[in-house]
Amino acid sequence: MTDKQKHIRNFSIIAHIDHGKSTLADRILEVTRTVEEHAMENRVLDNMDLERERGITIKARAVRLSYHAHDGEDYIFNLIDTPGHVDFNYEVSRSLKACDGALLVVDATQGVEAQTLANAYLAIDSNLEIIPVVNKIDLPSADIDRSRSEIEDVIGIPAEDCPAVSAKTGLNIADMMEKIVSDIPAPSGDIHAPLRCLIFDSYYDSYLGVVVCIRVMDGSLRAGDRIRLMSNGAEFDVVDVGVLEPFGLKSTEVLAAGEVGYLTASIKNVSETRVGDTVTTAEGGAAEPLPGFREARPMVYAGIYPADGARYGDLRDALEKLQLNDAALSFEPETSIALGFGFRCGFLGLLHMEIIEERLEREFNLDLITTAPSVIYKIKKRGCETVFIENPSNYPSADEIELAEEPVVKASIITPTEFIGGLMDLCQDRRGEYHDMKYLDANRAELHYTLPLNEIIYDFFDALKSRSKGYASLDYEFDGYRPSKLVKLDFLLNGEPVDALSFIVHEEKAYGRARRIAEKLKENIPRQLFEIPIQAAIGSKIIARETVKAMRKDVLAKCYGGDITRKKKLLEKQKEGKKKMRRLGSVEVTPEAFMAVLKLDDE
Amino acid sequence: MKKKTLGLYLHIPFCLSKCRYCDFCSYPAMAAETKHAYTMALIKELSSRAEAAKDYVVDTVFFGGGTPTCLDTDDLLRLADCIQSRYRLSDGVEWTSEANPATVDKDKLRAMRACGFNRISLGMQSAHDSELSLLGRAHRTSDLYQAREAIHEAGFTNLNLDLMFGIPAQTVDSFDRSLDEALALEPTHVSVYSLQIEEGTPFYREQNTLALPSEDEEREMAALLYRKTEAAGYRRYEISNFAKPGHESRHNLRYWRMQDYLGFGIAAHSCFEGERFYNREELAAYLKEPCELCEQEETLTAREREYETVMLGLRLSDGIDEEDFLRTFGYGFYEKYKRRLMRFCEAGFATFDGKRTALTESGMAVSNAILAEILED
Repeated sequence: MTDKQKHIRNFSIIAHIDHGKSTLADRILEVTRTVEEHAMENRVLDNMDLERERGITIKARAVRLSYHAHDGEDYIFNLIDTPGHVDFNYEVSRSLKACDGALLVVDATQGVEAQTLANAYLAIDSNLEIIPVVNKIDLPSADIDRSRSEIEDVIGIPAEDCPAVSAKTGLNIADMMEKIVSDIPAPSGDIHAPLRCLIFDSYYDSYLGVVVCIRVMDGSLRAGDRIRLMSNGAEFDVVDVGVLEPFGLKSTEVLAAGEVGYLTASIKNVSETRVGDTVTTAEGGAAEPLPGFREARPMVYAGIYPADGARYGDLRDALEKLQLNDAALSFEPETSIALGFGFRCGFLGLLHMEIIEERLEREFNLDLITTAPSVIYKIKKRGCETVFIENPSNYPSADEIELAEEPVVKASIITPTEFIGGLMDLCQDRRGEYHDMKYLDANRAELHYTLPLNEIIYDFFDALKSRSKGYASLDYEFDGYRPSKLVKLDFLLNGEPVDALSFIVHEEKAYGRARRIAEKLKENIPRQLFEIPIQAAIGSKIIARETVKAMRKDVLAKCYGGDITRKKKLLEKQKEGKKKMRRLGSVEVTPEAFMAVLKLDDE
Repeated sequence: MKKKTLGLYLHIPFCLSKCRYCDFCSYPAMAAETKHAYTMALIKELSSRAEAAKDYVVDTVFFGGGTPTCLDTDDLLRLADCIQSRYRLSDGVEWTSEANPATVDKDKLRAMRACGFNRISLGMQSAHDSELSLLGRAHRTSDLYQAREAIHEAGFTNLNLDLMFGIPAQTVDSFDRSLDEALALEPTHVSVYSLQIEEGTPFYREQNTLALPSEDEEREMAALLYRKTEAAGYRRYEISNFAKPGHESRHNLRYWRMQDYLGFGIAAHSCFEGERFYNREELAAYLKEPCELCEQEETLTAREREYETVMLGLRLSDGIDEEDFLRTFGYGFYEKYKRRLMRFCEAGFATFDGKRTALTESGMAVSNAILAEILED
């Protein structure tokens, strides 16, 4: 180990949501004087507005700090931030792989919670040294002893003398900093071995091209080196290497084993630099990549359409811009009879989808209509090839299908024992296949199920949270395809099918869903001049029907005398309202109503 | 050469008290001096516009409000005198004043009749004191009967009664009674408006606690209205207006037919030689300088003219005349909107007999939605 290596500490902060991770990160930045106090904006690590608002971190970021320790030595801290949601579990695990230790933050007023546990296990799996930190001790309801004993009992790591701090006031932060130096191991790694760097993040910069965030595991890297990405064999000449300062990049001559930094190499597209991939040298490179690489593939698809058809081009530009920084986002043009021109987009999961939607609406000022999310079905057609269907419109008719398969996931749910019954019912209802249950301690259990992914994207996460008062946490991974009795459910308004409303569903669920959506359509379609029949159909068989009655009264029967302008304004208002309507066949529906129908909740 | 015709509207913004649903420009309980000063201001404004109207024959005059009969008899006579002397009136001029049953007596009515008024429009609204008091009306049923008698005795043969439906605490039965009472008073014309809750009124603030009839009840009331007025010999010539033959309100028809009218007084609107303009709603300023409150609303382009012709014309049961439309715009109405109109005709919302396009009873009930569709860009 080099002397430099001995003075590096690579760590991340993990916590349940709202336990104060970001505030603690701010305090560390302040203590290390990396960020001048007056320039301190809350939560420096979260770059995006959206993250700041939602209090969640979407993409990992890293920052390099210098700390003068009580032993008189200067240390380099690389603080690597992690995203905190099941959609990004893979990214989290890669970020943790870049660390040697983690601060596990527990709110002294709340104790250990579901995500604390899930994150702690991820860190343990990555062989990290974990320093528990009890936070928010300035609050009157803080119970430090209880939090410590919970950490020991539930997670099973010693916490007797762990730091108890207030990230808000700065109390005891100094102790914690010393603990980072003394407890987290210096990075191992052989500076003379062939180069191996782990990519834990990358983003597109319009001047530099892709900036690749890396942890050097072995060897060293300089500008001018020719590198190879081990998953796809792509080769590049390194233009620049350096470290990640809080407010930007800082070039250095070399990045060596143990260091965290960036490289640029005129790379055009983040899809080439996938998180988890290994960077090595083109000549004399490493024989084996770092373990655990997996290409992040979209699991959930939905059609995204501009509410105003004229903004199709804007939507395309916006998606292209977002994709520059988000290799997991995919999209291709699609046309819907009901919604016009739009895109079928692929996402890692539901949160990823929501984030993209919100960024499109907020950063690009677009009004969107999004169809119900769908997964990819694997269909073997009679006497011919197997096709993958991600858009319900392309689903073959029943007599063409020899075998239909749907994706399933291995799900693990960690929950306080009192909610086990309710959650088992939920999994049962969602066609889950039970495997086993493990008691983590007297109060907590872990359930294992195989669940169809299309049940998970159908508000499973919300149902899980509501049935466990928010305590249960969910983790899942793709587990291949299973044969399934699937049907395509169509909806007809005035006898005309509305393509944007079709979806694929398990046969047993079809009737219930059909009825519910038909009712929702009835509630949300405003009465119009003519009666509107609503029908739900599987093939040519109608399985549910409702009727929107015709409007009975809509007349201006008031005397405004000669004030014609006022009459006109009322009519104009009516016409304005009409303009916002979406035409589904011969039926007009407000975008809000359309969304209300597509956004199905549990009940 | 046949002279062009014109309607005059005088806005009298005074009332005994403000009704709880009212959002028209009116001031309750004003001092007599203010009302007199307003009369003098009106006379000034009337005189100032007379020159512009010299090529017109005035064939309708309408005193509206507010409550025109809140003015002193002398002030009413002054206004009538000014109109008679400054404008050329046609022989058969229709000269209406709105009136609140609590504000008329025999003497006032006689004097009005003598100076040219020949039509009274009485704000009856309901034949139930309980409903009248919920509406915040200043009159009671007994006032109505006295007023009816005084109107008759003063020599008025042309009478309109205003009724309302869809008002708080009203039932189908109580509306039926009001309707019977109204028809028993033998008016030549009945206007029946459904209550619209307007922003800024007490009703708007209380709308959650108002016991309004349901949509179904309102529909029943409307059906009753059409049946009974028809049986009594009235024709529904406009969405809310019913008349014995030959007694249609010619003044209101001017509005629907886009014929010229000049409005005087605050908040009065005019449509004159292709321009729409109105006086701002500023009483104090009007009293000081009545001719300087005028605001240009718009100059009607051919497109806007067409829009308004359709919007207003379809309120009339005579509908829109294909020939007239063709003469004004260069194409027929049915011809231009055929694709949309055919659908409405098939559904029984409209009829086209080769000459006129008109809405049917069921079409009138949803006329806003129909207009929005016809006039969709």
